[in-house]
Amino acid sequence: MSALEKVATDPLHDVRAYAAGFEHWLAAPPDSLRAATAPLPNYADRVSAMAAMMRDLHDAGWSRYGWPEESGGLGGTILHRGAFWETLSRHHVPGMALFEHLEILAPALVAMGPPDFVSQALPALLSGQELWAQGFSEPDAGSDLASLRTVAVAGDGGFKINGRKIWTSWARYATWCLVLARTGTPESRHRGLTAFIVDLRSPGVEVRAIEQANGTDELAEVTFDDVHVSDARIVGHLDGGWKVAMHILSHERGTFAWFRHCFLYQQLTDGLEHGGADSDAQLGDALLDLAAVTTTSHAGLHAHAADDPLGPKAAFTKLLLCEAERSVNSWRYDLDADLAIGVQDDETAMRRQEYLFSRIVTVYGGSQQMQLETIAKQTLRLP
Amino acid sequence: MTADLHAEAEFLDVARTAFASSDGEEALRSLGWWELLAHLDDPELRPAIYAVFRAQGSELGSSAALGGLLAQPYLEHTDRVAGSVMSAIRRRSKTRGVVWVVVGDPADRELLIDRPGAGATIVAAADVSLRRIDVPGRLPLHEIQIDVDVLPSTIDEACAATARERSLAIGRIAISLEILGAAEKALELAVDYAGQREQFGQAIGEFQAVRHLLAWAQTDCVALDSTALHALRLGDDLPVGFDAVVKALAGRNGRRACERSLQVLGGIGFTTELDHHHLHSRVLALDGLLGTAASLSRELGLSLRTGGRHPGFPSALLLADG
Repeated sequence: MSALEKVATDPLHDVRAYAAGFEHWLAAPPDSLRAATAPLPNYADRVSAMAAMMRDLHDAGWSRYGWPEESGGLGGTILHRGAFWETLSRHHVPGMALFEHLEILAPALVAMGPPDFVSQALPALLSGQELWAQGFSEPDAGSDLASLRTVAVAGDGGFKINGRKIWTSWARYATWCLVLARTGTPESRHRGLTAFIVDLRSPGVEVRAIEQANGTDELAEVTFDDVHVSDARIVGHLDGGWKVAMHILSHERGTFAWFRHCFLYQQLTDGLEHGGADSDAQLGDALLDLAAVTTTSHAGLHAHAADDPLGPKAAFTKLLLCEAERSVNSWRYDLDADLAIGVQDDETAMRRQEYLFSRIVTVYGGSQQMQLETIAKQTLRLP
Repeated sequence: MTADLHAEAEFLDVARTAFASSDGEEALRSLGWWELLAHLDDPELRPAIYAVFRAQGSELGSSAALGGLLAQPYLEHTDRVAGSVMSAIRRRSKTRGVVWVVVGDPADRELLIDRPGAGATIVAAADVSLRRIDVPGRLPLHEIQIDVDVLPSTIDEACAATARERSLAIGRIAISLEILGAAEKALELAVDYAGQREQFGQAIGEFQAVRHLLAWAQTDCVALDSTALHALRLGDDLPVGFDAVVKALAGRNGRRACERSLQVLGGIGFTTELDHHHLHSRVLALDGLLGTAASLSRELGLSLRTGGRHPGFPSALLLADG
């Protein structure tokens, strides 16, 4: 009997049982799932479709596995979440659109956020009701995150935040933003930062969507003008924001690749009809890149499930995911001249968005050059 | 998993020391490797069995280990014991057609020659004519000079077919680990050199262009390490075609890591004064056995395109490795 054929009995303690149960349930998928698989190049449409699907998956319980009960989940580990998104990818959901933060930001909220708040916020995110943005980068603080200048000054039972964030993914659609702000002296670098949960509906918050080169507007610039935040909305400790940021980045670099690469596999499978013998070598090469992501990110998932994150080694996973993004999309591009010419229909428009996105992933979540520098310094111990 | 990683690292250290301090055959004896080989199905012992190949690659050792491993799945159909038989590898030469190759010195052993469709035959090495090929990389290779079609079959086709598939899969993973060992050693040479060699008044390892080159080489090695060890852990649950993925990745990434290391070493890396050329040549020679990266990538693409399934599925998460 193969591993897959073993009888599924306990979804909470056996990820394969969970995956089999979810697969079985998806034999009669809700309408919202079918709607989310349609090519929707308009980002706002995609957000609505994904939110509706996530609501159904939350209500049926499938998305609540992998999250602690005290945070509104059903228990289990990150491996459940890995199986959840993998299953959705095989059912032609094209990506995580907007729910990426479930695997980037939410783990830090659950680990270090105020428990009462998280027990409300996580179900609201899982069910697509209240989404999140991450306010880290600033116009003058990109790779050098510790130089950020947004300030939070104590007073009136809380803090007043002033400053400007940029490349704030999904802020336009989000209710909450995790803002990294300076609570120490300007010279305190990474030691004087605090992570705040800011309600983007607060007075003094302004969100300006940034239209991207691939036609989506998922990024934004957010300004904070005397925005009040209660001190109950601190994640981690005062001046402990760097630890929160590192927790988030360890997921963004070390485990997120698992979730993302499932969709890349599906892109290959969905594009096979366009392929031919002359592109088989390129297709096989993309499979090699994907396999490297599978195995390194699988180790990342297990490390996180065992509460022993990868640390600087996550840089490898991040680099390998970028390579896979590029090779999968290069293969698709080379097969389909429509992608070069431009947008003709929704399907082509989506593919072109993906292609262009694959050319910028080496910038997001810590640029490729920063990952290489991390490896040079921390793994190779170069001078 | 963490405990597994520690165990793997320990095995590797012991094996490296053995190969660094004695010749390959002696190293295998001192490690009790031939006794271990009979326990290939034991997941606890598997890392120790395969660590030998990685060590052999990094220390440029040579032994009968690969041939012995390749022969192992056939032995249950014979009365031979582990270590007495080495399996020959079939390869296709552009000019000479099918050629049978043995890696390591067959000396007093028997040779297993498996002819798909006609079963496998076992002959004493002393009874066939062997031509030693001078392969760089301190890798002794022999070509078997015999018309294999006239040999009677020792193991019938039905039994040989099952053993053949298993032999190929485990052989590819073993060769991949040997490539990894060699590539890692080449990179180690380059990293050491970058820390010592000074130009413009500073170590060249301080220049970002050099640092990034080395970091990419390390990434090549990590991708291969992770994928090969993953395959080892999965054992019999390995998805169909994954051995080809590992071997193709080994050929591609192993060569790339050597090339990047060579660029950092500069001219001295292209001389016989450093071991880089041995390591590089060994990687090339091993790429040529049991499927090159180029041919396997093409086959993987073809099989996905025409069969619709990729060797990454059933996925790691759905397999019993947790």
